[in-house]
Amino acid sequence: MTPSYFKRLRLDVVREWDLYLMLIPGILFLLLFKYTPMYGIVIAFKDFNIYDGLAASPWVGMEHFEKLFLSEDFARVFKNTLIISIYKIFFLFPLPILLAVLMNEIKNMVFKRGIQTIVYLPHFLSWVIVSGLFLQLLSTNGGLINKMIVGLGGESIAFFMNTEVFRSVLISSAGWKEVGWGMIIYLASIATIDPQLYEAAKIDGASRFRQIWHITLPGLVPIIILMFILRLGNILEAGTEQILVMYNSIVYEVADVIGTYVYRIGLGQQDYSFSTAVGLFDSVIGFILIITGNYLSRKFLKRGIW
Amino acid sequence: MKKTITLLMLIAVMIVSACSSSGDGGKNTNKETASPTSTGNATNAPQGEDDVLSGTKPQLRQLQPFDRFDPNTYFTAGFLEEKTGYKTTYDMLPEELPNEKLNLLMSNREKYDIMRLTKEQFFTLAEAGALEPLNDLIDKYGSNLKAGIEDTTWSAATIDEKIYAIPQGGTGIYASSSLVIRKDWLEELQLEVPTNRDELYTVLKAIKDKKGVIPFTGTGQVSVIPEIASTFGIANTLTNSAWLEVDGGVIHQAEHPRMKEYLSFMNKLYKEGLLDSEWPINTSSVAIERFTSGQSAMMSLAWWSAPSVVNALKKNFPDADFVTLPFLKDEQGVSTIGVNTGITYFMAIPKWSENKEHAMNYMNLKLEKDLFKEIVIGQEGVHHKFEDGKYFPILPAFDDLNNASFYLTGVDESVYSTYWQARVRKDPILFNYFEELQQLADGLFVIDRLSNAPPIASISEHSQKLTKFSNDTYLQFIAGTASLDTFDSYLAKWKADGGDAMNKDANAWFSTQK
Amino acid sequence: MRQRTSILDKVFVASNYTFFIFMGVITIFPFLNLIAKSLSSEAAVISGQVNLLPVDLQFGTYAYVISDKLFQSAFINSVIVTVVGTLLSLIMTSLSAYPLSKPKLRGRKIFILMFVFTMLFSGGLIPTYLLIRELGLVNTLPVLFLPGMISVFNMLVIKSYFENIPEALEESAKIDGASNIRTLFQVVLPLSMPVLATISLFYAVAFWNDFFTAMIYINSPDLKPLQLYLKELLASANNIFLKLDTIDINMAMNVSPQAIQSASIIVATIPILLVYPFLQKYFVKGVMLGSVKG
Repeated sequence: MTPSYFKRLRLDVVREWDLYLMLIPGILFLLLFKYTPMYGIVIAFKDFNIYDGLAASPWVGMEHFEKLFLSEDFARVFKNTLIISIYKIFFLFPLPILLAVLMNEIKNMVFKRGIQTIVYLPHFLSWVIVSGLFLQLLSTNGGLINKMIVGLGGESIAFFMNTEVFRSVLISSAGWKEVGWGMIIYLASIATIDPQLYEAAKIDGASRFRQIWHITLPGLVPIIILMFILRLGNILEAGTEQILVMYNSIVYEVADVIGTYVYRIGLGQQDYSFSTAVGLFDSVIGFILIITGNYLSRKFLKRGIW
Repeated sequence: MKKTITLLMLIAVMIVSACSSSGDGGKNTNKETASPTSTGNATNAPQGEDDVLSGTKPQLRQLQPFDRFDPNTYFTAGFLEEKTGYKTTYDMLPEELPNEKLNLLMSNREKYDIMRLTKEQFFTLAEAGALEPLNDLIDKYGSNLKAGIEDTTWSAATIDEKIYAIPQGGTGIYASSSLVIRKDWLEELQLEVPTNRDELYTVLKAIKDKKGVIPFTGTGQVSVIPEIASTFGIANTLTNSAWLEVDGGVIHQAEHPRMKEYLSFMNKLYKEGLLDSEWPINTSSVAIERFTSGQSAMMSLAWWSAPSVVNALKKNFPDADFVTLPFLKDEQGVSTIGVNTGITYFMAIPKWSENKEHAMNYMNLKLEKDLFKEIVIGQEGVHHKFEDGKYFPILPAFDDLNNASFYLTGVDESVYSTYWQARVRKDPILFNYFEELQQLADGLFVIDRLSNAPPIASISEHSQKLTKFSNDTYLQFIAGTASLDTFDSYLAKWKADGGDAMNKDANAWFSTQK
Repeated sequence: MRQRTSILDKVFVASNYTFFIFMGVITIFPFLNLIAKSLSSEAAVISGQVNLLPVDLQFGTYAYVISDKLFQSAFINSVIVTVVGTLLSLIMTSLSAYPLSKPKLRGRKIFILMFVFTMLFSGGLIPTYLLIRELGLVNTLPVLFLPGMISVFNMLVIKSYFENIPEALEESAKIDGASNIRTLFQVVLPLSMPVLATISLFYAVAFWNDFFTAMIYINSPDLKPLQLYLKELLASANNIFLKLDTIDINMAMNVSPQAIQSASIIVATIPILLVYPFLQKYFVKGVMLGSVKG
């Protein structure tokens, strides 16, 4: 850190002063609304009583974390969280991308706009409603799917009470609900690809599929990378809200995740410390993954978030 | 472009500052800018009126649990202001996470004067030292309250001889639900209405064999069905946390010696297809749907749902009818049904309220005999009529009072149960069903032994979580995904996770009641 | 060669259209079901008789829902919050994204990390509540859009987009003597319509759908936004006896019928659904066309 370093630093800053000016409102917002309350993280290390206040609440160190990790259900719950989350990423991350690419091949504007608007509708329904819908659809008492299965000669499946298929129910319903909405950002990205590239490719005789492979997909790479790295950041969130309304004790073994487990054992008490500790655990893991993901992305794909 | 954006930003900033200048403390949309009137109808002036209560009446802030209407603009709000001279603004806790929000508000000393709390909330706040002890205030300004509320009720709000809230109970002892079964199918199959468990089993089996419908449907939220559990001596209610007296002490229903038998019986029903196979995942609306669409023969019906079920069933099957089962007899030929006569709400005053005396005065005024009646059922000849010792609603005027109970801060227990029945009489179907149910239940009540207990620490802490744990496990036993051989280890866990602590403390209190 | 590709291509196109028709069908049926329920009689709804068409057609539910004063105030609150919030957020987010999209900005990495850190770590509800309280925002309308003004996710998306704009375009503006601010507003933003439209949609939907903020910070019934109002309307039906030791008989008798619940959902969702079609015209290809020659 030589004096000339600081001199260059000052010159750079001064030259781009208006960029820094633009940055100020955002940074101020961050500092005020996000960083000022950040001290609350210490609640995870205290035995917090909201009425006594933070300062007066006793320090307990890693006690809450121990409670979480050493509880007999933690292994099962952690496993379920990872499995469901990874299944969801594996099956549901590529879907909106695929759909956006296919949608892009639709040339009829009316059809395109109409279908786009319809397909994202489920995103607006609450999980309570979606859950009721799927319960009805998959019911063994007159549900459509089972009617079809039986009609084809099979046996009724109690989807919501079957530990082997329940996870698939979770993933399928999540997919159905969100794929239309997830498509939007990829469609917007595709819209920014220079049409001249397509023109040139056509002139060269490239087939539709080659165009997709060489133009559309590469054009989506930046946004896909961003989305994927961020998705890793909440890998420990397997869909608590969804699972809470859809699961039942019969399928706890495969569907009980960290979020739902913490909810149940906290019923009737307001144990802020414990839930803060769990949240902190999620955050740390997520953050590590994002940093790692970004690093790997920069190394091998030459681009990343920063 | 730049100009447009600058302009927009200016507008945004103006809107923001306009909004925030309305300050916190709630926007009041109260139409009447009623200047403080005289004390109006309050004929019951507090004994020894001192300077505290004289002068202009302050505006009171009341915190209420969630409800679906705007209490500040409702008819009763204006009515109360007119009659008592106190203008009150009402805030409501949210429907979800109310306790979290309450804790946030209280730990930040939000200035409320009266708070209507659930038992759980009451205990948390009392323990945290947030509530004002009311003994003196009640003595000075609460004569109506003293007169209207029973001693046993007061004890529910008393901790270490200090009264921390006005307890509101007084709805009386009533049965909430019963089993109902398709009468036309019974007749078709020439079956009698079952009166005990064995007959029930036979009937369900016959229905399954001959009609091919789901004999008995229900919701997974209730795994211990009161009407069946009572035949094993487990007199629980729909909330599934009953405390029963056994051998001179009290136990939680989860520890009842015959619980395993009950589960075994239900498991048998499930295995043989007599229970809806989707019982664990059904919500209560699904159960109603199955019954009213003719897919199921029997379900548990709460009396307040009777009209909609009757209408729906009749609409789909005009010739269908259902009959209420009498409460089933146990092996000794005795029927029982559990009931909790406890306190629904606790009215407390936070320590930092600046209007404690006025708050107490206000609550007291509302319990003055004539005013109290008028709040609940309006004026005779206008909203209700009085015949044969009973109150009947006059529609449509009576509908103005549908939400009146929201405003109650304590009831006159000697009369309240007769008053609210006027509401039930609004709908003839509702009322017939209600009356029939109470006649069937007459004399069979087993009262939850902890109905009038003050909040007990270990119970507040563990009850909800353990009830869910039990319910979850019972569903697994009933559906057969867990073997009843593991019942003992489940019970051991239940005890270790707080069940023993609850038992100990419950009995400690109970023994002081003998 | 051409001939064969053409047939394959035709098959592809046909399958594609068919596929999307299928997608459309499976995603629209719950809405049709809800609409049907909202226009049916209560008896038909609770006995499960309603599928895609109304049974015992009636319009009373909508009249009832819309005439509820609480619904009206909730609706207006949501509109104000969504419009003002989206506008403010868009401006603030773009202003932050632009400098961070410049690779040569000193301290860029640190600033970005500062943003990303807040995506994962938070002080939690209690300190935030205290802050909001200190700022005097409790039980006011601005609390519903101010704390949510910058979504880091949205900012990163816009930043990514800005990074992909060819430098040549900005260079030419600079050569003409434009400052960074002018470049942003006069060159970059007009070129960014697809992403701005997308992010507007994201913010609008986020503000419109948010009920949690209101649940915590709003106490007065007339300041509630629509989604909170709606959620509470629906929840009250199922939870009568699950919360209290004893049943509040008066509340039990006040449960809102299912047909009305369905109508409320429809009325609360339709407005925001109209935003996307409105924004779709900004998703037009060829915005870059003609902007750079050489």
